[in-house]
Amino acid sequence: MKKALMRSNTHLLLSAVMLFQALAMLLIAFQKEAVNPQALALAIALPLVTWLVTTLMGRVWPVDRAILIMVLFLCSVGIITLSDIAKSDITPRTQALYALVGLAAMFVGAAFIRRFRHWKKFTPALMALCLLALLAPWAPGIGGWYQGARNWVHLGPLSAQPSEFVKPLMILCLASGFSNRPRFARCVPTIAFAAACCGILLTERDLGAVLLYFLTTVFMYYVATSNAFITLSGLGMGAAAAVIAYQALPYVQDRVAIWQNPWIDPEKTGYQLIQALIAIGSGGTFGMGLGLGRPRNIPLYHSDFIFAAISEEFGLIFAIGLLAVYVMIIMRGLIVAYNARTSYHSLASFGLVVMLGLQTMLIVGGNTKLLPLSGVTLPLVCYGGSSLLSTFFSMGLLLGMSSMNAEDEARDIEQLELQEEML
Amino acid sequence: MKELRRNMRFVGAVLVVLFVGLAGWFAMTVFTQGTIWASDVRNTRLSASNSLRGDITDRDGNLLAHTDEDGTRQYHANTAARLALSQTVGDTAGMSGTGIETFYSATLLDISTSLLDRLSELFNSARHVGSSVQITVDGPLQTYIAGEFPAGYRGAVCVINYKTGEILAMVSLPAYDPNALTGRAEAEVEDTAYLNRCLQGLYTPGSVFKIITLASALSNDPNVTGQNFSCSGEWQYEGGHIVCAGGTAHGTLDLKHAFKRSCNVTFGKLAYQLGLERLRATAERFGFNENFKFGDFVVYNSAFPESVSNMNGLVWAGIGQGEVLVTPLHMAMISGAIANNGTMMKPWLIKRIANSLGATASTGAPQAYRQVLSESAASVIAGYMYETVQSGTATRAAVKGYTVCGKTGSAEVSDDKTVETNAWFTGFVYDEAHPYAISVVIEGGGAGARMPSELASKALKKTIEYVG
Repeated sequence: MKKALMRSNTHLLLSAVMLFQALAMLLIAFQKEAVNPQALALAIALPLVTWLVTTLMGRVWPVDRAILIMVLFLCSVGIITLSDIAKSDITPRTQALYALVGLAAMFVGAAFIRRFRHWKKFTPALMALCLLALLAPWAPGIGGWYQGARNWVHLGPLSAQPSEFVKPLMILCLASGFSNRPRFARCVPTIAFAAACCGILLTERDLGAVLLYFLTTVFMYYVATSNAFITLSGLGMGAAAAVIAYQALPYVQDRVAIWQNPWIDPEKTGYQLIQALIAIGSGGTFGMGLGLGRPRNIPLYHSDFIFAAISEEFGLIFAIGLLAVYVMIIMRGLIVAYNARTSYHSLASFGLVVMLGLQTMLIVGGNTKLLPLSGVTLPLVCYGGSSLLSTFFSMGLLLGMSSMNAEDEARDIEQLELQEEML
Repeated sequence: MKELRRNMRFVGAVLVVLFVGLAGWFAMTVFTQGTIWASDVRNTRLSASNSLRGDITDRDGNLLAHTDEDGTRQYHANTAARLALSQTVGDTAGMSGTGIETFYSATLLDISTSLLDRLSELFNSARHVGSSVQITVDGPLQTYIAGEFPAGYRGAVCVINYKTGEILAMVSLPAYDPNALTGRAEAEVEDTAYLNRCLQGLYTPGSVFKIITLASALSNDPNVTGQNFSCSGEWQYEGGHIVCAGGTAHGTLDLKHAFKRSCNVTFGKLAYQLGLERLRATAERFGFNENFKFGDFVVYNSAFPESVSNMNGLVWAGIGQGEVLVTPLHMAMISGAIANNGTMMKPWLIKRIANSLGATASTGAPQAYRQVLSESAASVIAGYMYETVQSGTATRAAVKGYTVCGKTGSAEVSDDKTVETNAWFTGFVYDEAHPYAISVVIEGGGAGARMPSELASKALKKTIEYVG
């Protein structure tokens, strides 16, 4: 196979990202009077790892390097922001370690999807695994209520959020169930599975995840079957469920009330959002400058409100640029879905991309007072191991599928050339 | 597969459009709201920043708030003045949500988000000073009124110029000491002290609302002035009854006498005669149920019932009881409109905004809000209000040498008279040279004929003396 056919020119992108990483970390390292050794180490480590991973993965499989580089860029933005604003050096260090594990998960994901040929056979088992994992927080001893939700499991020193890990697996199940343009009756088990997932998450009060799972399912169903009637009924039922949830759960009402006017109770319930808006406003168009802002005033600046923190430090233009990077990943991902040879792979890559997009919109909308805050993570950027690992695994799946497309195309071209020679 | 691809293209396009919308919204809010958000008093970055708040001065240029070289915010040195002006000026802790410090934070700080300004500030050691705000309030007048307010009572006094709409005084008691919030003074502060009752106090108007009922009657039937009513001190009707204060039987009387003696029976009958629709139309013409947006400050909206379940509701609405609610500022505006030949002026508070070099950035200007009543009806009501001060319930409101018109009220706030009524007075000086309107509320102050009328007399006299 001709390697040249499968490679796109991404040197410029890679160099720019590496330069950004090195400069940003150097700036942080030399900001205070004493040099920050960890930041200095990261100034070398981040570009190095970015280069290594891109080269290595690109050598092993003909993956879409643009996606890969942008994923690594987003992850490094998270580590840079945390190095700058976190109260202790442990937070960025932990995030960097998570990222290393995440990179491994990405390789695993890519290798897995390339080998995974008998998906129909494995889907029921995969579904059962998803449901069991989602139920895990209810198991006595390992789960527990935390900040009004029960979506964590604790196993010895490790804690994890099953709803994050289930995301890519659930999309694989849906892709399998919806592949080959099925009629509605054949989709019922898959839809029941998705509904069960949402139901379990609802009992755990993980409303952001419920919304994400629901919307992804609806979108995947629509593209797979073109059945507008069922899709719209699904959306209608979802809207009805949202209204019922609003009526029944005071917690949801609180969230909506805060979103409508956080200034009613600025010291307590509205505090988070007001501080986030103050941070965004203080940043303005060009930002306070890396290290010059004070986003620590926002509670949860490192997780739920990291987008506001980034807006303060880097400014509006960079924050919109960050959104553009997500859009570019989504568009490159849609190309992967478009070129896939089987509807299973097409749907799987589509699902992964849609979930990434929806998740980003939900949390960015929540940070900027466009939507009520729903407590999902900003993919790849926000602090937290479960989300980072799961997203890296998802992106691994996407990259694996992109490499399969590239190989298929190269094979086609070779055959075409062969035919021409014969003629 | 073909269809799958087409659908994916569609959903992909939807996603991109949503993202563009999100980015657009984000950019738009940062441009339109960003400075306001950044200037929020809860923004702790500001105390460390290079920005100094500009001055707040009263209409004569007296300093009400000033920032020292070292960055501490100083309020009026006189404790009585500081307290009297507390809710009007506000505080840097943002406790008074309607104060100038909070509402005009962005102007006082004058933060610029432009990159050039930021860079020049980085290389400029001089501290950035925000714009200064001059308000229409007369500081000494407001301090005087707060001092004359009956000790131990809560309530509000609002004085406006009815020809221009300028707010001259907004007294709200209890008050608080802004220095206490920064730890520079020890003082107990009641929660409601942070409210500016002139703007945020929604009170049952009681008999002062009879001005509106009278206006409605005059607008709908100019001959109503000749009509006679009979009052036996009590009126029994289907579904309820109404009594006059103290059960006094006023006998047979016309509207003028009913107004100056504040006869509940007559005005209850008048409301019934008008019906809810007509009464409400007049009330809404005067600004009830309207979403006030005056720009210079926030004022709560006054309310008149949209519907009543029975005749009882209508009769009681006619004498300003039940679901009728009004702010002291709005009441002063209503009186002012009567005095100003039926034209209500838009109230304003910001006289002038000047940048740190002293150049005027903007000035306030009189603006008519609306013609709420015909000139002839306004002059009839003004005449009745004059009679009320001359020989009616409001004789104590008179100011020697000036034509004072007014109306008293004693608003029931409980169903069983266990709580003392809120005492009201509203009125004006009927004089081209001294166009001042006033409203006074004293919570639990009893009869409007006593304390509020006396206070209004003193306040109007001082207003003429101080403001001119």
